[in-house]
Amino acid sequence: MSDDQVTIEVDGISLPAKKGQMVMEVTDDAGIYIPRFCYHAKLSVAANCRMCLVEVEKAPKPLPACATPVAEGMKISTKSPAAIAAQRATMEFLLINHPLDCPICDQGGECELQDLAMGYGRDISRYNEGKRVVADKDIGPLVSTDMTRCIHCTRCVRFTEEIAGFQELGTMGRGEDMKIGTYVEKAVNHELSGNIIDLCPVGALNSKPFRYRARAWEMIQQATVSPHDSFGSNMFAHVKQGRLMRVVPQPNDEINETWLSDRDRFSYDGIYSTDRVIKPLLRIDGEFRETEWSTVLEQVSDRLQQTDAAKIGFLSSPGATVEESFLLQRIARGLGTNNIDHRLQARDLGDSDNDPVQPHIGTDIVSLESADAIAVIGSDLRREVPMLAHRVRKAALAGATVSFINPPGQQYQFSHQYLATELTQLRAALGALIGAAEVATGKIAPDSVAQRVDRQSHDETHRAVAESLAQGERSHILLGHLAQRHPAFTQIRALASVLADMTGATIGFIPESANAAGASLVGVLPHRGAGGEPVATPGLNARQMLADALDAYVLFGFEPEVDTVEGAQAVETLRNANFVVVMSPWLSEQALEYADVILPIGTFAETAGTYVNLEGRWQSFSGVATPVGEARPGWKVLRVLANYLHLDAFDYNDALEVTVAAREAVPVELQDYRIGPMPSMDGADFGDDLMPAPISLYGSDSLVRRSRPLQRTPLARGVGES
Amino acid sequence: MSAHGLTDMSMIRNWSKTLLLTELRSGLAVTLRNMLRPKVTVRYPEEKTPQSPRFRGLHAQRRYPNGEERCIACKLCEAVCPALAITIESDMRDDGTRRTTRYDIDLFKCIYCGFCEEACPVDAIVETRIHEYHMENRGENIMTKDKLLAVGDRYEAMIAADKAADSQYR
Amino acid sequence: MNYRENENLVAFAPFGLENSWTLDAYRSIGGYQSWQQVLSGELSADDIIDKVKASGLRGRGGAGFPTGLKWSFMPRNAPGQKYIVCNSDESEPGTCHDRDILRYNPHALIEGMAIAGYAMGATVGYNYIRGEFFAEPVPRFESALREAYEAGLLGQNINGSGIDFDLHMFVGAGAYICGEETGLLESLEGKPGRPRFKPPFPANYGLYGKPTTVNNTYTLASVPTILRKGPEWFAALGPEKSGGAAIYSVSGHVEKPGNYELPMGIPFPDLLEICGGIWKGRKLKAVIPGGSSVPVMPGEVIMECNMDYESLREAGSALGTGAVVVMDETTCMVRMLERISRFYYAESCGQCTPCREGTGWLNRVINRVIDGKGRSEDLDMLVEVANKIEGHTICALGDAAAWPVQSFIKHYRHEFAYMIEHGGRSIVEADGKAAA
Repeated sequence: MSDDQVTIEVDGISLPAKKGQMVMEVTDDAGIYIPRFCYHAKLSVAANCRMCLVEVEKAPKPLPACATPVAEGMKISTKSPAAIAAQRATMEFLLINHPLDCPICDQGGECELQDLAMGYGRDISRYNEGKRVVADKDIGPLVSTDMTRCIHCTRCVRFTEEIAGFQELGTMGRGEDMKIGTYVEKAVNHELSGNIIDLCPVGALNSKPFRYRARAWEMIQQATVSPHDSFGSNMFAHVKQGRLMRVVPQPNDEINETWLSDRDRFSYDGIYSTDRVIKPLLRIDGEFRETEWSTVLEQVSDRLQQTDAAKIGFLSSPGATVEESFLLQRIARGLGTNNIDHRLQARDLGDSDNDPVQPHIGTDIVSLESADAIAVIGSDLRREVPMLAHRVRKAALAGATVSFINPPGQQYQFSHQYLATELTQLRAALGALIGAAEVATGKIAPDSVAQRVDRQSHDETHRAVAESLAQGERSHILLGHLAQRHPAFTQIRALASVLADMTGATIGFIPESANAAGASLVGVLPHRGAGGEPVATPGLNARQMLADALDAYVLFGFEPEVDTVEGAQAVETLRNANFVVVMSPWLSEQALEYADVILPIGTFAETAGTYVNLEGRWQSFSGVATPVGEARPGWKVLRVLANYLHLDAFDYNDALEVTVAAREAVPVELQDYRIGPMPSMDGADFGDDLMPAPISLYGSDSLVRRSRPLQRTPLARGVGES
Repeated sequence: MSAHGLTDMSMIRNWSKTLLLTELRSGLAVTLRNMLRPKVTVRYPEEKTPQSPRFRGLHAQRRYPNGEERCIACKLCEAVCPALAITIESDMRDDGTRRTTRYDIDLFKCIYCGFCEEACPVDAIVETRIHEYHMENRGENIMTKDKLLAVGDRYEAMIAADKAADSQYR
Repeated sequence: MNYRENENLVAFAPFGLENSWTLDAYRSIGGYQSWQQVLSGELSADDIIDKVKASGLRGRGGAGFPTGLKWSFMPRNAPGQKYIVCNSDESEPGTCHDRDILRYNPHALIEGMAIAGYAMGATVGYNYIRGEFFAEPVPRFESALREAYEAGLLGQNINGSGIDFDLHMFVGAGAYICGEETGLLESLEGKPGRPRFKPPFPANYGLYGKPTTVNNTYTLASVPTILRKGPEWFAALGPEKSGGAAIYSVSGHVEKPGNYELPMGIPFPDLLEICGGIWKGRKLKAVIPGGSSVPVMPGEVIMECNMDYESLREAGSALGTGAVVVMDETTCMVRMLERISRFYYAESCGQCTPCREGTGWLNRVINRVIDGKGRSEDLDMLVEVANKIEGHTICALGDAAAWPVQSFIKHYRHEFAYMIEHGGRSIVEADGKAAA
């Protein structure tokens, strides 16, 4: 037994423990439950609820298990008469001012206070005096408050301070008048703020969109995966009679811990938006008519077969599942065209052959936390992947040097630097960093770089960043969405890989949307098939397809007017096409102008599928909700369409068979990427007009854009950002 | 006759009963006795038996004296119903209160156990002493919220009296 | 024995001098001699701690923890910033001696803090003064601080000695809970004054997370005299185990209330005599011997006691801060308890459940009794609720709120019962002894 090991005895059971651990951590690991309210494994210890009082031998009074460090030979009784008496005493105090409104409280049925009151409460209150009433606060469209129910555990306060990093909630007043609030009335605005709903042990903080909609016991809990970013947060969907009622996090320490971003939590409202397509729509004589699936699929297959394959373009959302992406590219290639792409937001597709087959962050999420240095290039991290920003923050708080080579976006509450003020400066900043890296490492950058960028204009900040990257054992460079959407992306990528090579840092990409990695892997690319196999004659990429009209288009799961580089141009092009098939759960106003057929497909909640996250993790999920109207899962629509097209080997019986086929078609090993050939830097001066727009947190995809609660937030309206 | 298991003595006894009409007499005595006794038959529907205030008949939803419906959509009755006869959907009403948007009781499923009434924290759902009702068409077995409230409105006086009578035993 | 010899004064030594708060007055009685010895290298840190230990000085803030022992807990030689903090947030009801030290002898405190800081390796000191002291004590201390700096007694590398000591004054905002040492540290850091959970203790994790020692004003102001007159002299003033003098802040129904610095362990009847006895010739009913949070003692019990830590503890109470609240026979103990419980109800920080919810409960029930709506079961419930608060909270405020309730009902249950039975009428009114 090593020195830092001790043995304690809990209820007569001897347990091993590490020095410095609190009693509660040891008993939790051993499966011995001690009642608690303020304690939360991911938050600092407050020890203020006094519910976890236990009897410790030789201690004159009961001690809180959450804040009592273990000591060798400590004897603890969690269920002795003294411990139970102390816990019951606390429960009585908690209940005297707690309202008896469980019947109208949404927390009823999943309330920690209610549960523990069953075990530790009295049947009848001895408290006959007036009860405390606290005015409710309006803290935004996501979280409802009933502050009279608050038991002052301060979990929410500690969350906003320690996890979110912005102390948006605090305690005011003292004694019985202590209140939780924002002090100045404002919305709680952080992109992770919805987690305070889960943290609140009582009904003081609840989900506002879900308010009064259903009871915990009526809903079925089903596991699923976040469809909005490449983090792949695990979630539980709570479904009542086939309808998705709410989303809560599924704890997974390797990915999202116990948290969930607001975007993942509240986007479900968009599933039931009023513009859902409930039956296939076919344009007949300029008017859309509701049609049967068989009729409309026959029409689509006829029209596509009549069209010259080289004149058909397939565009797919980077948020489509692996199965959908795989089937779509099989159909495209079955029809004989390589005109297929998912990189809808990319401006620079010049050096695609050197793209990673599978974009990933070059490390795994957990290791990121113990990084020594992280350089983020071209990313508004908090808006792109909120949970990744949280991990980077944790790394920074643990001592990592974090720098951003991009203009300031959302603020970060940890020490960090910005090495650029405009997106147009990315290449210059990287050049200076490479120069600084030459100083720090003594290595010389390749000639190709030397000739093309100015390496001399580095200052102290550049040198400090380069030094931290070079000296850190675990240094990571991450290329974000703004970099990938940048008109000089290939050059930025090349410079970043030179920097990575010189400093020994890993280089990684933050894939767009939920499944850009999966789409890339299974070959939704004009130049590569499934598994990254190069094709003989590369087809047109997304920008080319939308620049000049082809004869026919198949659009899968996105809205060209907002999800592409130049939306207006895209719509114009599509309007000029002969035949446009839109597969989408929703009918946008613009689609009425250019679409000829609209096939209603299911959202993430209504289909089985797989997403590949930013560390290369394949996560499959099944459909959780009944599809709205006659919408069908995307993979089923594609599979049946392929049958109408008489394509071979499309006899999949369920989603799993498609998953297996897709999996077999791609390499299993994650590839580390390193330097590619240095692309030309000539004539690549871009003005502001070509630069990507700022990342929109609540405009990231069709579902989020249709979620009413999210669109009501100050963040979506672009005011009061923090 | 011993083959039938009867002894000679018992055969003699049977003959004598037959000759003396003993059994006829005793039978007629019962008839005569009951002719003179008071009658217990109730001539329903002209006459009715007395009912307990706890009688569990047709369901009703009550209102507060100011006209506000009592039900707060807590769904405890739905949860406790052993026959799964109650279906509730809830939402926030415009004034911010928690209300049902649907409250159906399927009278064909209901076993009139009264658990819903016991579970109700606001005395909204009650079983009245009304037991004379019928349905003529498919679907009429579903008591919707409107129908329940209508029953409640009509019989509120009776319901309130029954509750008051029973309250001292609770 | 004449207790009132000037020779026996410790922190009140310069009292009676003209402008006793000035540097000159303080110097005239030997002030800053010990600090000069430190600066000249004649007095080492170990010497100081040994002398304080030998003197038997115990913390005067209420708990009575041996000061020398507390100082020795500081990781003196560990690298990094360390702090000495003086707790002048004197808010225990009945207590007012720190106020007089700040008003009339601020230099003793400054010297004591400098010496203590040196002994523990702390180069920065803070004096946290109660907000309500803004009228006189704060300006006095501030001007004394200025004098000390001007005289070259504080600062960096003082008189070329290589010793640094900077002293800052901080005025609180008037919360009782900030008198609790970790609550004080939180407040000093600019946060709401809410006590921290211990362990870790301030000696390891104190102000801004650095090792910190917090001492009471009177404790620190006693140090220069101890070093000047010798620990033996100080120890001999009081009984065994608790050396020195105590300032008794006598209030209530006595002829001459006030602060009396007297040798520790003086018999209570002698103290009462010094204060001129009970006023108007009335009889003694009860005494709270150490500030409102310690248990109340019936008059006949305390008349047998000596006023020191051990004696009062054996009698079921505590010396606390030395705030002696004397109550005569006309005092209604129910109303007295209501006033005390209202204080704790108002001052609870709201952090721990039992104290946040329990203090209000206690106060409301007592008020209900006074309003004539008491029930016979209320008394047992009050004691039970107090028992449930006691020992269940982070800091001692919960205990402080519980003890008066327990002791008042223990000793004067009949008065409470009388009031409940008679619809809010007090027993003292029935006896025709209503307080004048």
